[in-house]
Amino acid sequence: MLSIVDYLIFSGLMFGIGTMGIAINRKNVIVLLMCIELILLAVNTNFVAFSRFLDQTTGEIFVFFILTVAAAEAAIGLAILVVLYRQRNTINVEELDELKG
Amino acid sequence: MDFSLKAMLPEIFLATMTCVILVLDLYLSDRFRRVTYLLSQVTLVFAAVFAIALWDNHFVLMGGHFVSDKLAVVLKTSVFIVGFCIFTYVYDYLRERDIRISEYYILALFSMLGMSILISAGSLLTLYLGLELLSLPLYAMVAMIQRQNTASEAAMKYFVMGALASGMLLFGISLIYGSTGQIHLDALPVAINMAEQPDMLLLLGVVFVVIGIGFKFGAVPFHMWIPDVYQGSLSPIVLFVATAPKIAAFGMLSRFLWDMFGAAPETWQSFILIMAVLSLLLGNIAAIAQTNIKRLLGYSTIGHVGFIFLAIYAGNFAAGAFYVLAYALMTLAAFGILVVLSQRGIEIEDITDLAGLDKQHRWLAVMMLLVIFSLAGVPPSIGFYAKFVVLSALVDAHVAYLAVFGLVMSAIAAFYYLRVVKVMYFDEPTQTREITIPHGTNVLLSINTLATWVLGILPGGLMAICLLLY
Amino acid sequence: MLTWLSIIIILAPLAGAISVGLLGRVMGRPPAHWITITSVAISFAASVWILGIYIAQPFEVFEKTLYIWGQSAGIPIEVGVYIDSLTIAMMCVVTFVSLMVHIYTIGYMCDDPGYQRFFAYIAFFTFSMLMLVMSNNFMQLFFGWEAVGVTSYLLIGFWFKRPTAIYANLKAFIVNRVGDFGFLLGIAAVFLVFGSLNYGEVFGHAELLSNETLTLWSGTTVSMATAACILLFIGAMGKSAQVPLHVWLPDSMEGPTPISALIHAATMVTAGVFMVARMSPLFEQSTAALTFILVIGGTTALFMGLVGIVQNDIKRVIAYSTLSQLGYMMIAVGASAYAAGVFHLMTHAFFKALLFLGAGSVIIAMHHEQDMRKMGGLWRYMPITYITMLIGSLALSGIPPFAGFYSKDSIIEAVKLSTIPGAGYAYFAAVAGVLVTAIYTFRLFFMVFHTKPRMDDKTKSHLKESPWVVTVPLILLAIPSLVIGYILIGPMLFAEHAFLNPSLYVLPQNDVLAKLGEHFHGALAFTLHAPMTLVFWLAVGGIALMWALYIKWPGIPEKIKNHFSIIYKILVEKYGFDIFNDWFFGKGTRGVGNVAWKVGDIKIIDGAMVNGSAHLVGRIAKLSRYVQSGFLNQYVQIMIIGLLGLMSWWLYAWVG
Repeated sequence: MLSIVDYLIFSGLMFGIGTMGIAINRKNVIVLLMCIELILLAVNTNFVAFSRFLDQTTGEIFVFFILTVAAAEAAIGLAILVVLYRQRNTINVEELDELKG
Repeated sequence: MDFSLKAMLPEIFLATMTCVILVLDLYLSDRFRRVTYLLSQVTLVFAAVFAIALWDNHFVLMGGHFVSDKLAVVLKTSVFIVGFCIFTYVYDYLRERDIRISEYYILALFSMLGMSILISAGSLLTLYLGLELLSLPLYAMVAMIQRQNTASEAAMKYFVMGALASGMLLFGISLIYGSTGQIHLDALPVAINMAEQPDMLLLLGVVFVVIGIGFKFGAVPFHMWIPDVYQGSLSPIVLFVATAPKIAAFGMLSRFLWDMFGAAPETWQSFILIMAVLSLLLGNIAAIAQTNIKRLLGYSTIGHVGFIFLAIYAGNFAAGAFYVLAYALMTLAAFGILVVLSQRGIEIEDITDLAGLDKQHRWLAVMMLLVIFSLAGVPPSIGFYAKFVVLSALVDAHVAYLAVFGLVMSAIAAFYYLRVVKVMYFDEPTQTREITIPHGTNVLLSINTLATWVLGILPGGLMAICLLLY
Repeated sequence: MLTWLSIIIILAPLAGAISVGLLGRVMGRPPAHWITITSVAISFAASVWILGIYIAQPFEVFEKTLYIWGQSAGIPIEVGVYIDSLTIAMMCVVTFVSLMVHIYTIGYMCDDPGYQRFFAYIAFFTFSMLMLVMSNNFMQLFFGWEAVGVTSYLLIGFWFKRPTAIYANLKAFIVNRVGDFGFLLGIAAVFLVFGSLNYGEVFGHAELLSNETLTLWSGTTVSMATAACILLFIGAMGKSAQVPLHVWLPDSMEGPTPISALIHAATMVTAGVFMVARMSPLFEQSTAALTFILVIGGTTALFMGLVGIVQNDIKRVIAYSTLSQLGYMMIAVGASAYAAGVFHLMTHAFFKALLFLGAGSVIIAMHHEQDMRKMGGLWRYMPITYITMLIGSLALSGIPPFAGFYSKDSIIEAVKLSTIPGAGYAYFAAVAGVLVTAIYTFRLFFMVFHTKPRMDDKTKSHLKESPWVVTVPLILLAIPSLVIGYILIGPMLFAEHAFLNPSLYVLPQNDVLAKLGEHFHGALAFTLHAPMTLVFWLAVGGIALMWALYIKWPGIPEKIKNHFSIIYKILVEKYGFDIFNDWFFGKGTRGVGNVAWKVGDIKIIDGAMVNGSAHLVGRIAKLSRYVQSGFLNQYVQIMIIGLLGLMSWWLYAWVG
C-alpha cells in the first residue's frame, strides 16, 4: 500500500521537472507548453491522492475543473504560439529577447 | 442550500450580456461596430448598479462557493467603473487604427467577469476559476494586436510565466486542501485553528499561494513579466492590464490573507515583507534607467506594489485597499493620457515622445502633470494620502524603520517622475502635430485626473469605505 | 446655517481661483475678473450675513470641525471653523478689502499680459487668508500662514522678468523662513504642553502653560509660557514685518500695487497681530513675552517711521508707514489692549488700502513713475484721487474725526496706563511716532499733489483722472476711513458688552481698556477731548511743519538735509539693516559658506553623498537592467530562485 508521502514525493518530482523544464529549456516553446501540462498533472496527482486519503470527493471534483481549464490554457498557448511563428518565423525561446532592460 | 441567485446578478448579467454581444457582433457590419461599444458600456453600467445594490447584505451562495460582502461590492464596482473609463478612452484609438474593436471589448468583458468571480470567491475552487477566467483573455489580448513586432513575444512571456505562477498557486491550494481537508475559505480558519501546531504542509501551501498573489501583483521577484508586457503591447492593452486586474488581485490577496489566514498573520507576514522591500528597491531604482515611458510606468507599478504589500505587512488591509484604489485611479489616468496622445499614426513609446507636450496641448500637459505628481506622492494628491496612510500604519505597527525606508524610496521615485515632467514642459517638441481629443473622452479624462487631487484633499469618504471592509 | 455660510465663505474664492487659474487662458479677460469678483463678493456677503446673525443674537463662539483629513501620530489634521467676534471682524475686513482690490485691479492691470494669472492669485490669497482667520486649530492656522506666504512670494515676483522683483521675492522668502521656524517651534511647544492643537482645548487649559518650565541649559529655566509665546511671536514678527525681520516688506513693493494694498498693508501682514490677539489666553500667561512684544513693537513704530521721512519712492513711503503702524498694533497687543490692536488693524486696513490704491492711481497717471521728486501739483488733474488721498492721509496722521485718530489714540492712552515692563518705552515711541507719522504722510501728500509740477512735458500732457474701476474703490474705501472710527470706537472698545470682548482674554490686572472705559463718555466726547492732548498737537504740528517746509519755504528741506547729513545718511541706509544683512548674512555666510562649500559640500556632500548616491543609484539602475535580460528561461529561473528563497524561509521557520 502506497502512503500519502509516496504520492507527495511523486507529485513533487513531477512539479520540479515541470518547472525546471521551463527554466532550463532554451530552444523550443512547445516544450514549455508541455512542461506547464506536467505541472498541472502534478497538482492533479496531489488532489486525487489527498482526496483518496481524506475520503472525500472534493479533491477529485477539483481535478475536473483543473483539467478543463488546462485545456483552455493549452488552446490559448498554442494560439499565441501560432501568432508568434507567423510574426517571427521562429519558436526558439532564445530569440525572444527584444524586450529587455 | 440557498438557491437564490440574486447576489450573483452582476456576474450572471455580465456573462449573459458578453455572450450576447459576442454573437451579435458576428452579424454586425463594420459600419455598426459602435453598437458593440455602446452595448459593452451599458453592460458595465448595469453590472455596477447591480453590484452596488448588494451593498447592505452579506450573501453566501452556491454552497459557500460564492460570497458577496462589502469588500466584493466595493472592488467589483471599482472594476466596472475602471472598465467603463478604459472603454471610453480606447474607442477612438482602436477605430482610428482599424483594429478589431469588438474583440478588445469582448475579451475585456470576459476578463472582468473573471475578476468579479475572483473577488467574490468563497472557496479555493471559485478563486482558481476566477483567476483563470481573468488571465486567459489577458494573454489573448496582449497577443491580439500584432501591429508591433513585440506583441507576440510579450504575450508568450506573459503566458508562460502566468501559467507557471497559476501552477504554483494550484500546487499551494492542493497542499492546503490536503492538510485541512477543506476548500471553503470560511471553514479554513477553523480547520487551521484546530491543528495545534501549524502543519508543515499547510505552511508550504501558504508559500506557494503567496507566490501566486505576488505574481498577479507583479511583486519582486515575480515581476519579470511586467516591464516586458507593458513595453511590448500597445497602450490600450497596457491600460487594461495595469489597472483592473490589480484591483482583482487585491481581492484575491484579501480573500487569502484576511479571510483565510487573517487569524494567523505570522504564517505569511515575512514573505510579504520580503516581497515588499524587494519591490520598493527594484521598482524604483530600475525605473531611473528607463527611456520607454510604458516600461518606466511598469517599474513604477512595481514600486507601488511594494507600498501595498507594506500596508498588508502592517496588517492594515484598509490602507492597502485605499492604496490599490488610488493606484488604479492614477494609472487609469496616466495610461489614458498616453492612449489619447497616441493618434495620427504616432505611438507614444519613449519619454521623449512627450517632449514639448505643453506647447502642443496645454490641458493634456496639465493633466499629465497632475497625474505624475500624484503618482510621485506630492501633497495633497491621492497618491500622497495613500502613502501617508501606509506610512502611518507602519508607524502604528512599530516598524518605523520601514516607514523611513518607504520615504527614501518615494524620494528616489520623485526623481524619475520629475524627469517626465521636465521633458513635457522644458524640452522642444520633436515634431509639430495637432492633438484633438473627442469631447466625451476629454471630459471623462479630466474628471479622472481631477479626482486624483480632489480625493487627495477630501479622502475621508473613500477611506471610510475602506475602513468598513475590514 | 453658520456651518454652511462659513463653508461658502471659504470655498467661494477657492472655486474662483481654481476655475480662473485653470481655464483663464481659454475664457479670456472679462470672465476671469467677473468670476473672481463674484466669488469674493459672495464671500463678503456671507461674512456680513454672519455679522448680522451675531449682532442679532450674540454667541460666545461657534466651533465646528468640518473635515478630518487624516491622523498622524495622534495629531488630527483637520479643517474646521472657529467663529467668534474676532473672526467675524477679520472676515469682514479681509473680504471687503479684497473685493475692492479685485475691482481696482481691472483698471490697474489692464495692460498686463498676466491678467488672468493675477486674478487667480489674489482670489487664492483671499481663500488662504480666510483659512488662516477662520481656523479652529494650529495646523490649519499654519497651513493658512504658509499659503498666504506662498501667494505673497508669487505676487512679489509677479513681474518675474525684473531682477529686482526676483531679489525681493527671495528676500521675503528667506526672512519669512526665520519667522516660520520660530512659529513651528511655538506650535510644537503648545502641542507638547497641551497634547492637542485644537483652539478650544488649548485655550480652555491655558493656565497649564505657566506651570511648565523649560530648561535652556543647566540652571537656567524659563517658563514654558514665555518660551512658547516668544516663539509664536517670532512667527508674527516675520509675517508682520517687525524689527529686525522687517527688511522684506519695503522690497516687496516690487509687486504690483494692488498686491501692496491687499497683502502688504491690509491683510497678510496683520496676520501676526491677529494671531497674537487670537492667542490672548496664552500670551496673558507671560508678562515677559508681552514686554518683548512692547519693545519690538515700539522700536518698529518709531524707527521705521523715521526712515519713511527720507524715502522718495511713493510706495516705499507708504511701506515704511505700514511698518510703523504694524508697530502700533503690536504695542497695543503687547499692552494687553488686544481690542485696541484689532481696532487699529481694521481702521488701518481701510485707510492704508486707500493710500496704496491712491498711490497706484497716481502711478497709473504718471505712467508707472514712482519717484515723488518727479511729481507735484497733481491735485489739478486728479480731483477724486486727491480728495480720497487727503482723507487717507488725515486718517493715518490721526486727526479727528478720521478713523485713525480713534484707534491710535486708544492705543496711546492704553499703553500709558499699562503696568507691564517696557510700557514706558513703548509709550514714548508711540507718542513720538505720531509726529513722525504726520511728517512723512504730509511730506508725501504735499510733494505729490501740491508744489510745482516737476514731471516732463510728455507725461504732463497725458495726466488725467483714472477710470471708474479705480476711483470707485477709492471712494468706497474713503468712506470707512472717514467714519468707521467714530462709529465703532464705542461698540468695539468701551461699550458694556464690547464687540470683541468675548473672544479676547485679558487678566484683570492687565485690563487697561477697562480702566480707559471708565472715562469714556461716547465718541463725541472722545473727539472733543482731542485738542486737550499732546498727541493731537503733535500731529497738527507735523502737518503744519510740512506745509511750511514744502509749500511756504520750499528751499529748507534741502538745507536740513545738508546740515544733518549724518542723520540723513543713517535714515537713508535704514540704520544699516540691509548693509548688515548683506555683509553678515550675505558676505559673512558666503565666506563661511565658501569654505564649507569647498571642503564640505564639493568633497563630502556633493562628491560622496549627492553625486555619489546619484551615481550609485544610477549605476544600480543600469545594473538592474541586466537582470531583466529578456530571456524567458532566465525570468523563470529568477521566479524559481524566489520560490526557493521563500521555501528556505519556510523551512527555517518550521525547523526553528
